[in-house]
Amino acid sequence: MTSLGLAWRTARRYRARTLLAVAGVAIIGALLFDMLLLSRGLLASFADLLDSEGFDVRVIASEGLPAMRVPIPGSADLADRIRGMPSVRDVALIRMERARVRRGADRPRVVTLVGRTQSGVGPWTVVRGASLSYGPVGSARPSGERDSASLPSERGDCPVVIGRNLATAFALEPGSSLDVTATPAGIASALPSVACRVVGLVDFGFAGVDEYAVATTMDAFEAIVAEPSHGEADLILVASRAESGGGAAAARAIAGLRPDLRVYSNEDVVAQFNRNGFAYFRQISFVLSSLTMSFAFLLVATLLTVSINQRLGEIAALRALGIGRRRIAAMLLWESALLVGAGALLALPLGGVLALLLDHILRQMPGLPERLHFFVFEPRALVIHVVLFVITAAAAAAYPVWLTSRLPIAATLRREVVG
Amino acid sequence: MPASLVVEARGVSRVFPMSAGPVTALRDVTLHVAAGEYVAIAGPSGCGKSTLLHLVGCVDTPSSGSILFEHRDVAALSEAARSRIRLTRIGFVFQRFFLLPMLTAAENIELPQAEAGVAPAARRARTRALLEYVELVDRADHLPSQLSGGEMQRIAIARALANNPVLLVADEPTGELDETTGEHIADLFDRVHADGTAILVVTHNPTLAIRASRRLAMKSGSLVA
Repeated sequence: MTSLGLAWRTARRYRARTLLAVAGVAIIGALLFDMLLLSRGLLASFADLLDSEGFDVRVIASEGLPAMRVPIPGSADLADRIRGMPSVRDVALIRMERARVRRGADRPRVVTLVGRTQSGVGPWTVVRGASLSYGPVGSARPSGERDSASLPSERGDCPVVIGRNLATAFALEPGSSLDVTATPAGIASALPSVACRVVGLVDFGFAGVDEYAVATTMDAFEAIVAEPSHGEADLILVASRAESGGGAAAARAIAGLRPDLRVYSNEDVVAQFNRNGFAYFRQISFVLSSLTMSFAFLLVATLLTVSINQRLGEIAALRALGIGRRRIAAMLLWESALLVGAGALLALPLGGVLALLLDHILRQMPGLPERLHFFVFEPRALVIHVVLFVITAAAAAAYPVWLTSRLPIAATLRREVVG
Repeated sequence: MPASLVVEARGVSRVFPMSAGPVTALRDVTLHVAAGEYVAIAGPSGCGKSTLLHLVGCVDTPSSGSILFEHRDVAALSEAARSRIRLTRIGFVFQRFFLLPMLTAAENIELPQAEAGVAPAARRARTRALLEYVELVDRADHLPSQLSGGEMQRIAIARALANNPVLLVADEPTGELDETTGEHIADLFDRVHADGTAILVVTHNPTLAIRASRRLAMKSGSLVA
């Protein structure tokens, strides 16, 4: 019989101990697995959101922040220069303003209004209907030229795409109409409403769960805010060519064009958030992971030690029969591995279900992008989970192994008989 | 030392250090067991019988004096070497049997053979032969918890004989058994002796002791007869 076989028989023989250990490790392991998913989940989800937009470089004014932007002077000219760079595939100018949307007698809703110039990619995903139409896709649009298909001020055309929240609130479908009124923050205004037409329902990656968002063409946007942009944008989104070095190379090249601006590749944005906001999650996760591993170690080590203490006579007899220390140590290691391994394996589905529940609860927090997740599975989380439990199994078996290797055979047998 | 001696204790003493002061369990004991000999040691509880058995059985080393097992000084051997001697040259029988509760009777007998590196087919054949020897073939697949005390001790004796030892040491082998069952175990020891294996048994049981070819008595850590 191999040491593994002996360990397996022992685990089956002491069923209550085995069940307690496996259940304990499974629960602790589920928490650990969730901590591992949480430690990088938000970051991975954020990076995924950025990448899903189709753009990998962001240009903002120096005074601005990724979340709070101020207009970029000479945006249109800069966009033309960026568009002409060999490492760049696509460019979009973005403006944002607060607005109010009304449909019929329904209560008006405050929305984030986004104006966007023509681009071949993103930054949203069409769920139903169509995206904004700018004429032939991919045709270069010189700076200052207006969108060919949207001249609301002259043709009364205001195509919009809306988020699912707004569609649900107003029961909107592609083809529905709604009135949009700009309500710039910090100033009193009485701008007229502009009648707009819903062309599509889209998924705005960064729109919050409780946030209403509307996007339209830059021309329609200017008509709604009643203010020509003069080529200024709050944000310039750039899609790089992978074969030319990707976002990092493009960001460096763009920064060279206008040193007065801040240029971030997606990696830069993720790294910045990792250093700031997400560091808390990582630290909390590290502390809780360490605690859960300590609990797993203590649980298995205690159960094994108690079990060994109950079997000292049996082990002393085995040693007296000539069964070597190595075999007994191997048997204990396998016992530990079986208890921890079974628990760690059960911890994965348990942790997965728990992660889904916790993620659902956390994502109810107001202001969070709808598609942002706190718990994200990455293969590295599984690898770390396995490595940590292998270490735990070995560490938990260390004391019982040491105890049995130093066991005084004669004294133990004498005690057993006297006892 | 004559070539036929299996083990010899030369003036051995064993002192156990205790917090309340050292306790001398054995005082200057000299003993030898020849090949095929059957020696019984009797004496009151605490007189040092088990301590002497542990020294002769290579699970302990003396505080002074020497134990020679097959002409080798046991104290000079490493723990691994002593473990090897216990595995291949000595068979142990305990008062409380100490069968592994999670293994069947047959698996308990196979375990020392597996440790000694005996091939699986040979192990199975030897185990079958030993089960026939102790007349428990029909209990081969039973767990110790499904056996009576006498049956457990017979399986323990079969386990002790698994690697064909030259010496069988037994510590109160009938201590946990009733009189009739104890007689059956004594009969089994007679057969083992008749088959040429040397036996050293410490016992309170006169029925068992009387079967030995040489009977010794111990008192206060010394052999008195």
